[in-house]
Formats: sequence, structure tokens, C-alpha cells
Amino acid sequence: MSISTSIEETLTSLEKEISVADLGSDEAIEEFRIRFLGKKQGSITGLMKRIPDVDPADRRAFGQRVNELKAVAQARIQKAQVAQGPGVAGTSDVDYSLPGRVPARGSLHPLTETYRLITRVFESYGFSIEEGPEIEDDWHNFTALNFPPNHPARDMQDTFFIEQPTQKHDGILLRTHTSPVQIRVMLDSEPPFRVIVPGRVYRNEAISYKSYCLFHQVEGLYVDEGVSMGDLKHILHVFARELFGEDVVMRFRPSFFPFTEPSAEVDIWWKDDNMPGGGRWLEILGCGMVDPNVLESVGVDPEKYTGYAFGMGIERIAMLRYGIDDIRILYENDERFLSQFD
Amino acid sequence: MIISTNWLNDYVDHDLTVDDLSDLLTMAGLEVEGVEQIGSTLEGVIVGHILRVDPHPDADRLQVCTVDLGQNTPAVIVCGAPNVAAGQFVAVATIGTVLSVPSRENAEEKVDLKIKKSKIRGQVSEGMICSEIELGMSVDGSGILVLGDEAILGSPFVDWLVAQGRSATDNAIDISITPNRPDAVCHVGVARDVSAVTGRPLTLPEISVPAAGGSAAEQISITIDAPELCSEYVAILVSDIKIAPSPPWMQQRLITAGLRPRNNVVDITNYVMYELGQPLHAFDFDTLAGASIHVHATDSESIFTTLDGKERKLPAGTLMIADGDRDIAIAGIMGGENSEVSDNTTKVLLESAYFDPSHIRRTAKSLQLQTDASYRFERGVDPAGQARAAARAAELLVTIAGGTLVDGLVSTRTKPVQCQTVVVRKSRAELIIGVEIPAAKINELLTAIGFEIAMSDDSETFTCTVPSFRPDIEREIDVIEEIARLYGFDKIPVPVRFSVPDHPVSMPPQRLLREKTRDLLSSLGYREIYTNSMLRTDLAKSFLVPELPGGKFGGSVVETLNPISQEMASLRPSLLPGALAIAGYNANHGRKSLRYFEFGNIQIHAQSDASIVSGYTEQELLLILCSGDDAAQDWFNTVRPLDYFDVKGIAGAVLATTKLQNISFNLATTGSKTASISGTDLCQSYASIVAGDTYVGTVGELNSEVGKKYNISSPIYFVEINWSIVAELAGPGLRGRYEAFSRYPVIERDLAVSLNRNVPVGDVMDLIKNTGKPLLSGVSVFDIYEGDQIAADQKSVAFSLTFSANRTLVDKEVETRFGKIVKVLESELGARLRQ
Repeated sequence: MSISTSIEETLTSLEKEISVADLGSDEAIEEFRIRFLGKKQGSITGLMKRIPDVDPADRRAFGQRVNELKAVAQARIQKAQVAQGPGVAGTSDVDYSLPGRVPARGSLHPLTETYRLITRVFESYGFSIEEGPEIEDDWHNFTALNFPPNHPARDMQDTFFIEQPTQKHDGILLRTHTSPVQIRVMLDSEPPFRVIVPGRVYRNEAISYKSYCLFHQVEGLYVDEGVSMGDLKHILHVFARELFGEDVVMRFRPSFFPFTEPSAEVDIWWKDDNMPGGGRWLEILGCGMVDPNVLESVGVDPEKYTGYAFGMGIERIAMLRYGIDDIRILYENDERFLSQFD
Repeated sequence: MIISTNWLNDYVDHDLTVDDLSDLLTMAGLEVEGVEQIGSTLEGVIVGHILRVDPHPDADRLQVCTVDLGQNTPAVIVCGAPNVAAGQFVAVATIGTVLSVPSRENAEEKVDLKIKKSKIRGQVSEGMICSEIELGMSVDGSGILVLGDEAILGSPFVDWLVAQGRSATDNAIDISITPNRPDAVCHVGVARDVSAVTGRPLTLPEISVPAAGGSAAEQISITIDAPELCSEYVAILVSDIKIAPSPPWMQQRLITAGLRPRNNVVDITNYVMYELGQPLHAFDFDTLAGASIHVHATDSESIFTTLDGKERKLPAGTLMIADGDRDIAIAGIMGGENSEVSDNTTKVLLESAYFDPSHIRRTAKSLQLQTDASYRFERGVDPAGQARAAARAAELLVTIAGGTLVDGLVSTRTKPVQCQTVVVRKSRAELIIGVEIPAAKINELLTAIGFEIAMSDDSETFTCTVPSFRPDIEREIDVIEEIARLYGFDKIPVPVRFSVPDHPVSMPPQRLLREKTRDLLSSLGYREIYTNSMLRTDLAKSFLVPELPGGKFGGSVVETLNPISQEMASLRPSLLPGALAIAGYNANHGRKSLRYFEFGNIQIHAQSDASIVSGYTEQELLLILCSGDDAAQDWFNTVRPLDYFDVKGIAGAVLATTKLQNISFNLATTGSKTASISGTDLCQSYASIVAGDTYVGTVGELNSEVGKKYNISSPIYFVEINWSIVAELAGPGLRGRYEAFSRYPVIERDLAVSLNRNVPVGDVMDLIKNTGKPLLSGVSVFDIYEGDQIAADQKSVAFSLTFSANRTLVDKEVETRFGKIVKVLESELGARLRQ
């Protein structure tokens, strides 16, 4: 059963008018509302009023069509009001309880956050940042840093090799620390040197919760006249306070690295009421006074200049700060993890 | 290395608790990694006297003992030991006692055993008569421990142990030894540090070394064919030995130190190694042929069976010990099966030698055989300590194993021991350490660790004779380190002032722009990722293609010689594979909008202008990848799929921060793609990003086959930028100068044209820009229409034009310019103005 042709035409043209009307301003929206839905002149309101007059056979279909038109018009108004933004708020009944329009959220990786934290401390104390290649030759990575060939010290850093040494060429490898950049810096310029060297380093170790095949290191170097272990303790105290709080308790204990002498490892006291003794010492970095052999290998007079160097893993610091107990989660990049660093 | 505190106390009489001792060692450079209490206090174990022994009515092997425990009523105890007898004094674990005993499944593991009143085959038993193993004294569990008549009935068993000079408990201190401390790989060495720090005297074992020669020299001769690899070889002979378990006190110490007792001869050699640091080897003298020992390096590869029964392939040049006929030991690493001490051995040759550290290290590495001996030789044992260690072991063989010393010893030294002399300046030490240390203190500290010091009159120079057991000390700085560590790092004061450089720190463009871009991308909804640099070689090769920044360098993928696994055998030539894996992972975990970025280095085996290490090119890249929905579904928006223009726009935003001029996106013509994954092209389509005439990156859509590999069903878009190049180009222009801008009003005009739908809008915009000069200051597209209202081969494009000048513009001149633009579009592109 069809509605009479003339009514059908009215409905169709009305439908078109509704769909093309410009609703680009608050005024236009209000005009639209009055024109179609106004209580007195609204054309849809008018049609509603006419329902009882329609042939009973058509009445049901007609009513449905009119109601549909009304819904379309209302939807256009609502959408246009939203598009007009809060300006509409005062003039219509907005639901203020709806959530706000939050832009898509990205995040910085926790290793970047930690890298920035570390570099900021040292930059504010006059250290400039240097970077260098991840593929290195044996001389820069080991020999110049006082790792004698066939010395047990080389076992301390499990190495990925790329080319075996030949008579003519040095071996090529993935750097095991960022210390070779120290060597490049010292060869390229004159003392004093005051640099930190962040970067990716590689160790050929089984992957587990506590070690990954690569990690990021920040190494520091200060060479000048009259630099002592006291100065080294000073800068590292500053650093530890900045990262772990004013009341951080730290200790320097003697250790061994081929490129520094004396060498030390630095622990901080990690409070943990669940542990016997109320906590434990956690190692955060290694450091020491630059070995005279290293200075000599880059042509710096060790009688005139002394210096210190230190190095730490960004992963380790990040894990301590954020309470992460598995290094692999840093490279898994699960959004449920990343989104915690929005 | 594990140190037994009881054993350590033989050499230094300190009164430290085990915790304080651990702290002291750690702060002296001997890092304590763990402390384990060994044995139990044996509380509840008392001395009992067996009054009578009756057979168990229901078990042949068990006996029912009536034991006087010094209390009113004797206890009844069921015992299965074969050696139990009436009249014996024994150690009885009374009810309630907890003993630490080896577990049934694994003898190396200890479990708690609580003694309860129980019924054994129907017979009540009120305690346990203990064997040595149950008391933690040794590994002997063959029978009960029978005490002498001196035992006091009913008294704690611990009192009896103490009266024997023993202790029920011990502490195993696990020390991590750094490569510069070869002297500390033994109890005496560790005791020396304790003595130096506490000021308590060091008591060394008294050893009388037999004079060289004697009967020993008549019975055996030694020749060293490889003097550069062996500077000393000492042999001592001991006969009349009875092979038996070593005494409980020795077993107990070895167990604490983590060694498994074997028999008295082997235990004594181990004991002396752990005491003095000198590895020893005992040969069964009667298995040796030709009454001679030859130390030689092999000429060719050979096979040798070591005493653990394993056949080992030895590389040519391996240092070996041979008798008159054959090889009998791999020098410094492990003895041979053919000359091993057995239960029937009665006479041994004790070997005490000095082998070249780097040779032993090489051999141990190539054989993949690390032993207690090789560990010490490769660090460097005391080159003067061989005869003393051999004599010490010989004395113990005599006192413990019933042996008789064959008088004399054989010593073949090929290189005299030279003690280093090092001159140390007090001023230098103070400069390095950063604190004034009195000359007397320096003298005291160094003397305590075996240095002989001659001080100059002004107390400025110390001429130090370095003890032979410190081969690591050769230079002034080595001695300064000893002073610093014994003085105590924690006592070094922190200076009051801090020096800062006279120039502020500058940030290089590469880093400055990187940090800016990280912030930009993360605020635009992208998540930063860090991915592994190492991946499968075939995968790496798939991404070394000319359309990506890495592939521009040609060359090949960098492979490592010793990968952890084939999954990580090569270095990434692009950041794409890493990001794809992460996108796939997160898509699998239900993420619908995938947006990531990474800054990282790539490595290519190719020589280029950028090569630092010859033959390799390393560049920093920025990768941005997106796929899936543009946003989460929400009440105010409709979700649309991310597309090419999202990533192109992001690339534009990133490059805008670099202030690089003349950026263009040059769409690649078909045919330049490269077959890679699954034989398909890597990219569906892509464009090169060019700054001026320098290539800086690629933006594109990946082939859907690539996405499938990573389980990503939506189209994947990416931009990969060579950050090293961008930074280099952008550097000079970063500190851009201010340009005066017009403060006069601008005039805006809309321009709608219809033109052939194949004409790229980018070309139209370029033409408008060029024609509109110099008044036209901006142009943007605001509508594109194709459809019913327009011819099928046409499209309508609407532009918004902005005109401005450094003066008030007159409508007429804008109209003229506008008209010219329309004319050019009509004549050159066949466009028609739409009203």
C-alpha cells in the first residue's frame, strides 16, 4: 500500500532539504531547527499535525515516514552542535558527563626517559655528549684500553666478532662498551676532555631475565690536570643523589677494569624491609682513574694529566628506578608496558 | 673462589663476625658474592656410652642398643651400623635434634633431618647414633663415629669437637676474584688482606723445604724442552703411602670450599692448592716409565685421555708432561688416566710447576676445559712458590697418609725469579687518590701485603720490592692502587668545590633534533620502541633493498662470526623488520591502532663516505610505522583506517622541525621495486623524500604479503629517514634568522577548477605557486570531487589562495594575478574554472 503521490513528493523534497541544509554556524542550526522542528512553523511539526487527516489506510506508513524524517533532522542538529563545539553548550542541553576528546597518546620508551635523566645530570656539570660507531676494531675496543691480547680480562666481556684479525688488518667486532669512543675523542682533540658517551653495546651472553645480547651504556670521561679519585667520588655522589634521592647511601669498593687503575664499583643501599638487614647493596656502575697506558696510547702525557672514567648500564638504572625485574620486557615493546610511560 | 672461615682463621687471628669479615673483604677488593653457613650447631647431640647391644628381634641387620646418656634412665636406640659395639663412646642425636644430612636423591644437597621418637620394625628407638656424614664432618657414612675414652659422658658433642681443635659449623664465603689478584686465589692470600686491613699478624704454615738433590734426584730426572712455557718444575717423591680417606678435618674444609673429597693423596694436593694457591699434581710413580719427566710442546695434533676418562683432541703446540715413553698430563690443566693415583698406589711423584699463563689460557680455551689448576695458572701463580708448595704437600702425605719422604727434591728452573722493583712517589699517590696519606701509613700498608720498602730521606719516594706472588704489579700506578684499596676508598674525602668548564655544553644537531622529534612523535600518538639489532640473515637481506635508506649504500648484510643463534646472526640494515615484529606482536594482543617509531643505528658491509671503521657503513635512522585504525572508536568520531597520507604528513611534520628547505616526495615509477619476501615486492608503492637534491628517506606502503608474514591484516605504512644525513644537512640552518613579515591584511580567494582526473593535484599546486609569485603567499586544497555532478573523466579541485605583500594590496592586482593563474591552468593543464 502506497501513500498518495503528492504526499510522497512533499516528503521526498523535505528529505532533500533536510539533508543539504547548511548547518555551519550556531545561527544556521537554530534556523534549521525552527524551519523543520519549530512548534509553530516547523514543516515536520506540520506534517505530524496532519497525521490524523490522512487516509487510515496510509496513516501508518505516513506516520513512520514523518517520524523517520524527524529523527534525521534531530540527528543533523546534534551532529552539527557537536561540530560547533562548546559554543553550543549554553544554548542546548549538552551532556557534560561525556568523556573529553583525548588525542591519541604516544609514549617515550623508558630507556629514553632514563637516558635523558642520566645525560641531563652530567650535561649540567659541563660534560658534553659524544657518540660513536657500534662496529669497532679490536684496537679501539680492547688494545688501546689496556686489554692485553690473551689476557683473562678479555673474558670479562663476551664479544661478538665480525672479522678475525689478519696479518694486515685488526679484528672487527661489535663494541662491548662505549669506551672506544673515549679513545676516538682523545685522539681527535686536546685535553681537557669532559665527555659522556651514551650508546648501544653488545655482549655475547645467553639471554635471560638479567642479561640481553645488547644493552645501552653511558660512559663518562674527565681528563685534566690534577684530577683525583676525590673528584670522581664527587661527581658520582651528585649523580646518585639526583637519581636516587638526597639521602642515598653509596659505597665505593675496589674492583678491576683494564682501562682504569685504581678501579671501583659503586653500590647503593637499597632499602627493603623484607630482607634480613633491611636491604642490600646494589651495584650501579663501575669507575676508576684512567690507566696511564690508556692515556699513552692516545698520546696524552699521563704525568701532566690524570682523569677518571665511569660507566653504567641504562637498562640497569631503568630497572632499578621502575622496579622492572626482567630486562627482556624492555625489548618486548608490549603496549601494555609502553603505555605506562605516556 | 670459596673460602672456609675456619680454615682462614688458621692464618689470621681476627675477631670479626662473618658479616664484618665479608664487608672487610668486599671493601678490600675481594667482592663477597655470598655467604653460606655450613653444618649445623649440633645442638642436642651428646656423648653417650653404649652399655649393651642386642639383636633386633625382627631385623637381621639392626641392633638394639642400650645407651647411657648420663641421665637417670638409659635410652634405647636402634642402630644399623656394622661397627656398633658395647663399651663404645658415641655421638647421640637425642630426640628433637635437627641434623643437616645429604639427601637420598642427591648427595650434594643437604636436607634437614629431625630426630623423633619412633618405632623401627616394631622396636622403640629414642634417638640416633651418628656417623661422620650425619654430623657433617666428612663424607664417611660407612659406620658410626667412635669417640675415644677422653669423651665426657652426657656432655655436648660440640665440646668434644672443640677439644679436637675442630668446629661443628663453618662458613663458606664465595669471593669473586678479579683478574688482577692472582695472589688471592687461596686461603693464605685472602688472610694476607685481612691481616693488612685489621693489623693482626699473618701466621703462615711452617714448611721445611728439602735441599735439592738427594735420593729423589737419583730416582727421577727432569728435562724441560719448552723453557719459555715452563720456568720451573719441582718434583718430590713420597713412598709407603696408604691410600685411604683423608682425615675428617681436612674433608670438612674441602667440602666447605666446594671440593669433593676423594682420597688422602688427591685431597692433600687440593688442600695445598687452596691453602697456598699453587696447583699440584700427584702421579702414581710406579706407572711412570724411564725414571724421567719431560716437559714439551707437541709437534702435531694429538689425542690424550685425561683422568676423567675423556678423550681430548689437543692442538699442536700444547704443553705436555711426558715420562720416558708417553704423555702423562696436559700441563697445568689435567693429569692423564695412565698415571693417575689409584687405590693401589704406594708411591707418588708430586709435581709443582710454573707454566706460562697465556699458554694455559689458550689451551684451556681451545679444549673448553677449565679446572681449578688452569684457573690459577692462567692468572699467574707465585713463580717462586713451587718448592714450598711441594714440600708442604709432602709433609702432609707423611703425617696423614703414612708416607715416607724420599729425601731431597728435583728442581729444574729455566728462568730465575726476578722480583720487580717499583718506585712510588708519595706526591703522585696523593694526586691520584686525592688525600694526604702519612708516609708511615703507606709503609705499613704495603709491608703488610709483603712489599719490602726503602723510603727516601724526605719520605717522598718509596722504592718497593714487589713480592713474587704479585705478578700483576709492575708500575707505580699498580702500587698506588694497593695503597688506595687498603687505605679504604670510603675514607677518600670529596672535594668542597667543583670545577666546571669555561664553555657551555653545546648539543650537536643530530641529538638536538632527535630529542625534539621524539617529543613530537610521542605527542602525536606514536609509541617509541627499542628493538634488537640482530636478526636472521635471510630476513636482514630482504630489507637491504635500494628503495630503503640502508640499501642506498649497496654492499651486503653484516654477519657476526659467533652468533648466539641463527635467529640473531646478522645486523639490521633497516629498522623495519624490528618494528614489524613489534606491530605484529601487539596486533596479536588486540591492538587495533598500531603506531610506532624507533631511532637506531643500522650497519651495512659497504665502504662509503660515512665509514668510520673501514669497510662498514653505520647510519642512524628514524623509522615511523603505522597500520590499522586512526583512533579508538569514540562518541565524537568515526574510525577510519590509517593511510599513506597519515605517514606522509608525519614525515612532513618531522622534517619541518629540521627547517630543511625544498622537501619533495618523489613517487617511484614502477619497476624499481625489488623482489624480496616470499618473492613479492617489499613495497606496494613508495616515494623518495628528497631535500634539495639529496635523498633523505623513503615513505611508502608495504606489500600486503609482508604484513601477512607478521600477522598484520591492515595495510602498513612507513617512513624511514636517514637521520645522520638529515642532521648533517639541517645543522647549518638550525639557528635560522628571523624574517620580517608583512603586517598588512591578506586577501583570500577560493579557486575551483575541473580538470582531467589523471592530473596530479601536486602538479596543479606547483603551477599555482609558480604563477602566483610574488603576491601568492599560500595555497591549500580544500575539496576534491569526482562523481555525478561532473564528467566521468574529470575531477573538481578547490584551492584556497592567500595573497599578501608588504603593503596594502589592491583588489585589482589580486584579481589580475588570480586571472593569470586561471589562464595558465587552462592553457597548460586544460583546466576549466568552476563557478
